[in-house]
Amino acid sequence: MDSALIPEGVKRCSFGKFIFWLVIFGAVLLWGIVAMLLCWFKGLNQTNMNDAYGFALWIWADLAVIAVGGGAFFTGLLRYIFGKDELKNIINFAVLIGFICYSSALLILAIDIGQPLRGWFIFWHANVHSMLTEVAFCLSCYFAVLTIEYIPLILENRQIDRVPFFHNLSHNMHGVMAIFAATGAFLSFFHQGSLGGVAGVLFGRPFAFREGVFIWPWTFFLFTWSAAACGPCFTILITWITEKITKKKLVRKNVIMLLAKIAGWMLATYTIAKIIDTWYWATVTAPAAGHNFMDFYSNNPLYGIWILVLEIVICGVIPSIILITKTGRRYSFLLVGAVFLGALGACVNRWVMVLQVMAVPVLTFESWFMYFPSWQEIATTILPVAYGIMLIMISYRYLPIFPQEREIEEEKHASIFV
Amino acid sequence: MKVCRRSFLSLIIGGAAGVALSPLPLKLTDDSSIWTQMWPWTPVPEDGEVSHVDSICTLCPGGCGITVRKVATMSGDRAIKIEGMKGHPVNDGGICVLGLSGLQLLYSPTRVKTPLKRAGARGEGRWEEISWDEAIAEVVKKLEGLREKGKSHTVACISGTDSGTTAHLLGRFLTVYGSPNFIRIPSIQDSYELTMRLMQGVQASAGFDVENADFVLSFGSGLIEGWGSPVRMIKANSTWKDRGKVVQIEPRLSNTAAKSDKWIAINPGTETVLALSIAHVIIQKSLYSADFVNNYSSGFKEFKQIVLDEFSPDDVSEITGVSASTIESLAKSFAGASKPLAVCGRGQGETPGSLNEFMAVHALNALVGNINKTGGVWAVPDPDYIKWPEVEMDRTAANGMRKARIDGAGSKRYPDVRYLLDRLPDAINSGKEYPVEALFVAGANPVYTIPDSNAVKEAFNRVPFVVSFSSYMDETAANADLILPNHVFLERYEDVPAPVGLQKPIIGLSKPVVKPQFNTKHVGDAILLMAKSFGGMIADAFPWDSYEACLKETLGNKWDSLINDGFWFDSNFRPADWKSAFNTPSGKFEFVNKGLAELVKIEGDEQSYPLILIPYDSMRLASGFIGNPPFAIKTVEDTVLKGNDIVVEVNPRSARGFREGDHGILSTPKGSVKVRVHHFDGIMPGLVALPRGLGHTAYDEYLAGKGVNFNELIGPVEDPVSGLNAAWGIRAKLTRA
Amino acid sequence: MKEQHKHTKAKKYGMVIDLDKCTGCGACMAACMAENNVSFKKDESDKLLSITWMRVYKLTNGKKFPEADICYLPRPCMHCEGDHGHAPCVSVCPATATDYSHETGIVSQIYTRCFGCRYCMAACPYHARYFNWWDPVWPDGMEKYLSPNVSPRMRGVVEKCSFCFHRYQLAMDKAYIEGRRELEEDEYQTSCTQACPADAIIFGDLNNPGHAVTQIAKPDHKHGGRPMNPNAFRLLERLGTNPKVYYLSSRRWVRRAGDNYIKDERG
Repeated sequence: MDSALIPEGVKRCSFGKFIFWLVIFGAVLLWGIVAMLLCWFKGLNQTNMNDAYGFALWIWADLAVIAVGGGAFFTGLLRYIFGKDELKNIINFAVLIGFICYSSALLILAIDIGQPLRGWFIFWHANVHSMLTEVAFCLSCYFAVLTIEYIPLILENRQIDRVPFFHNLSHNMHGVMAIFAATGAFLSFFHQGSLGGVAGVLFGRPFAFREGVFIWPWTFFLFTWSAAACGPCFTILITWITEKITKKKLVRKNVIMLLAKIAGWMLATYTIAKIIDTWYWATVTAPAAGHNFMDFYSNNPLYGIWILVLEIVICGVIPSIILITKTGRRYSFLLVGAVFLGALGACVNRWVMVLQVMAVPVLTFESWFMYFPSWQEIATTILPVAYGIMLIMISYRYLPIFPQEREIEEEKHASIFV
Repeated sequence: MKVCRRSFLSLIIGGAAGVALSPLPLKLTDDSSIWTQMWPWTPVPEDGEVSHVDSICTLCPGGCGITVRKVATMSGDRAIKIEGMKGHPVNDGGICVLGLSGLQLLYSPTRVKTPLKRAGARGEGRWEEISWDEAIAEVVKKLEGLREKGKSHTVACISGTDSGTTAHLLGRFLTVYGSPNFIRIPSIQDSYELTMRLMQGVQASAGFDVENADFVLSFGSGLIEGWGSPVRMIKANSTWKDRGKVVQIEPRLSNTAAKSDKWIAINPGTETVLALSIAHVIIQKSLYSADFVNNYSSGFKEFKQIVLDEFSPDDVSEITGVSASTIESLAKSFAGASKPLAVCGRGQGETPGSLNEFMAVHALNALVGNINKTGGVWAVPDPDYIKWPEVEMDRTAANGMRKARIDGAGSKRYPDVRYLLDRLPDAINSGKEYPVEALFVAGANPVYTIPDSNAVKEAFNRVPFVVSFSSYMDETAANADLILPNHVFLERYEDVPAPVGLQKPIIGLSKPVVKPQFNTKHVGDAILLMAKSFGGMIADAFPWDSYEACLKETLGNKWDSLINDGFWFDSNFRPADWKSAFNTPSGKFEFVNKGLAELVKIEGDEQSYPLILIPYDSMRLASGFIGNPPFAIKTVEDTVLKGNDIVVEVNPRSARGFREGDHGILSTPKGSVKVRVHHFDGIMPGLVALPRGLGHTAYDEYLAGKGVNFNELIGPVEDPVSGLNAAWGIRAKLTRA
Repeated sequence: MKEQHKHTKAKKYGMVIDLDKCTGCGACMAACMAENNVSFKKDESDKLLSITWMRVYKLTNGKKFPEADICYLPRPCMHCEGDHGHAPCVSVCPATATDYSHETGIVSQIYTRCFGCRYCMAACPYHARYFNWWDPVWPDGMEKYLSPNVSPRMRGVVEKCSFCFHRYQLAMDKAYIEGRRELEEDEYQTSCTQACPADAIIFGDLNNPGHAVTQIAKPDHKHGGRPMNPNAFRLLERLGTNPKVYYLSSRRWVRRAGDNYIKDERG
């Protein structure tokens, strides 16, 4: 039915099946939209957020998707700046994931603020001292870059490509993509960093506060670093999932291996840096403010110190070891497990650095409170997931996201005929 | 022209691009943000010229001066803030939570806006709006009917106070109508008046020169929690920080205990014994004021005998839980202080308490000779500015007035007390006396404030005609047949004599700050209208045209200073010296010895009820006739009220498996309620403490249904001597929900 | 701004709260609500959703009966000076909706500019900032008592104690009309200070040696205003927020409750 739109030489599932799943995820999306509208029209009282959990579930999701969406800028950086040419075979998908993550992040921000109609004040009345201002500027600019990177992909659709104007536009855009990739990498470096800075500059919150260089606290660099490490992990993970669902090979193994190896080394170095940072914070920074290291972990009624073990050991040390060793990468289940843990690590880190920061009591006579999100928050958080899946479905079906797919397909056919 | 798909699309895209590039999106973005800055559903307070009115707050008997800020707007005057009045002798600029929230009462949606006549069943909440003429006619018809049947004495009136012109008008009306049943809301004032009468032979209220005392020995009085005139007491407490000591004797670490210099945790209900033991040490070591005891007291010998025989510190340390050495050092510091003062009356003093306890504590004051002295207890005579001609009663009235009071006050059994409201529910329910045919309630909310709520409600149901003068739809108004709404204190004139506990006579004048907001009428005016409607001798007793005229005439030459300053203060007042102070038969201070050792036994047996429930008071929760406004409720901690659940304090040692925040059922012989548990190390093991002032069923959603009314869980325990309610707690148990 | 600087000396308004005198009566809270048009809801028992510019905390010494002790601690906005006006909240606000005034030392909040990101709340360790989760609604007729001097806030913005800044403005207006440039100490007092029945709160200019706050707290301006009175302390002194609210207590455990200490540390 829609075969004219499907890229040449690849096979896609039936239109009916496609629509069926689209409707399923569309329903989830709709649920999220209802929640979103409730938050907009009735206000944030629709959530279970409160003055101790002013940053809650979806802000965590927001930071987490930005972190794992970091695969786009880092892969771009490797491909266009460092000339890792093999990565051109996964860059499209990395860009798509990045686009989804960043558009979701912006949407969540628009729901999260108490006065969405005044959101533009962040640009208009910008306070240059605020890390959040830096985030807002870099985030919007980088989203623009991602859009520019995503447009040529759309233009490669078979039908659109037929129009000479779009064909030429696409061609020319590809030509200058290196410049955008470089810009993107630069912007992304800053806003990933400034997101880290958001927590690190809070000198009233000893749990988050870190020293640093110039105006940037250590968390600035750690966030960028972890995004560069975990982003590619997430790209590999989603590629693997897509391959499992489509039941075909979409990217050649050597591409994955290369990216995994790089991610592994990034993760390993990040984990070392994170351990040093935690050590210094626990022994120097926090005690200077009168806090024992365990103060931050012992009152919490649910997970205590285990969240730190999860973040650093299980989601840092272990996947690093797997990814930097050849043996580790060779076994598919180890590789997938490692990239999953790597991506999870970034998510846990964002949870700790965002939610915890507000919830950890600083006044000696206050205590930890727990919070459970309302359905409106959960729906709003799932909204971008459904949206992401739908966009991947559509993009995969109608756009040549995986340049190697056709080759691999043809090889498979050829081997049958041989 | 043929419109093809292509040109149509071009038009749409081109149009969109054009609009996007035009100033329109910018303008809309800007407009929408401006719109959020002035949402029509967020009120914009109307501005106007600002002025201030000095007045007196009558929300409690404290008698504080207030300054009300108001703005004159196009739509009339609005009162916008109540502040403490600078320079007022009671509160000098200070003010409490309730006073600050007064405007929420003035503009409350729970106000009764016009006279109401019950349309449905009692308490059903269905009302018919009627005019004032109809309302007055309704009351008069009913009262005339009773009079004709010779039942004038079956009319009773419960009033929040018996001083001031309004209360006098009410009392006068009752007298000329022919009923002896004017009843004041009970408080420690009853016990102190009785103590004054028995020990000093005077009709006076007790005044405490707290500003000059330098050692305050408090037997459970919530000195900074609403005892006496609250703001004045808190101010005095601040001065004690610099130049005085406070010892608080109480089983629970109240705020007063926490602020005191020494907190002595005592087994509840044994305060009398401790006081007598302190007396023991003082007498034994001859630390008492020899001049006073030898020359101005009588009965000391017998008192000394009892005290020395039975109340040595060693004897009482086990029963009180206070060590003998503590008692001795306490007695020494008390007697050794230059201006010691002993006070009693638990918490805010809303339960009269045991007469023995009051007399034992007052005996301590006598021993150190601080009666009518600087820093001591003063007998403050009732204000005497209301000098109206004696009423002339017709025969019916005279007959009615000869009948015994329904509450038994002044009878042979209880000769010295004036009012016994706590006995009224039982008197009505048991039917031993005559039935009450009509009940008037003014400045009081007995359905909420009188112990044993079930019995009180039953009693109300037995009274065929209940009239409330309440300004708000409180519990009593909700259970009335007719509501004749009074102005609230910011809309009316009212003389406020003698703030409770003050040692010097002060008269304050409450003034209208704004025009009456609704179709309400001053209680005084309502009485005048009723009296005029009756005609005859009843009308003759009320020669005034209006309440305001009556007040002006009554206050005479004080009126001008009251209008200008807001209060009249006799700064030259000195209490009578010892030679002329005592009107007892001996002409001396009497150490009264009747049954001194007897302790008040609380209700319930220990087997079924292993715990003891005590109430506690807080400045943030009014527990009197005024329902707490939203501001007050907002200040209440979540360890007192959580959602709609009341939180009770239990020592972790007697929590018996109840964790912090757990739900439970608290039961007493009077009732069971759902509670949540809060672990508090400041309460004696074996006790449960429940905050007072919550559990309203009337008023609005900001108050109704929140927590539990302590009075549902406790009943009155009659003091054997006075007949007043002496219950300080009740046995209780805590079980799983 | 610059013009005014030339005429008036920079003020540093601050507060001293005597915890020995504070009885926990809550009058400061109610006085604040009444003065500043603070809204209220049907249920205010969830203190994480309850807007209380001034909040009175109940501190316990953690000991068992009968050694247990409690102390009340009123907590307005601390109006942190931080490092040269770098209050924790001010520097983080992305839209410049909150500002540190070097003229008065007051941390302001512009409700109509705030877009509700709540970053300032994360930055404030004192929980002094409150978010309007709901539209403010007054029961029918009660909006009559609202003061025209303070605009009611709309849903979705952050609000906090302003040291009754409108009172400063009104007092300054009056002074200007009378040809004065400086205020007397009693001309500008916050609502809570005025109401406190215990006289536990005093308010004034910490730069003015004649004002009671300066005489009592004895701020060491060379060290961010650290109190030199041994009984005085500030909340979370060691974070470097340099609050302008000082507390007095004669009890060591209370003073110690004002800050965090690592194990076995003396302080």
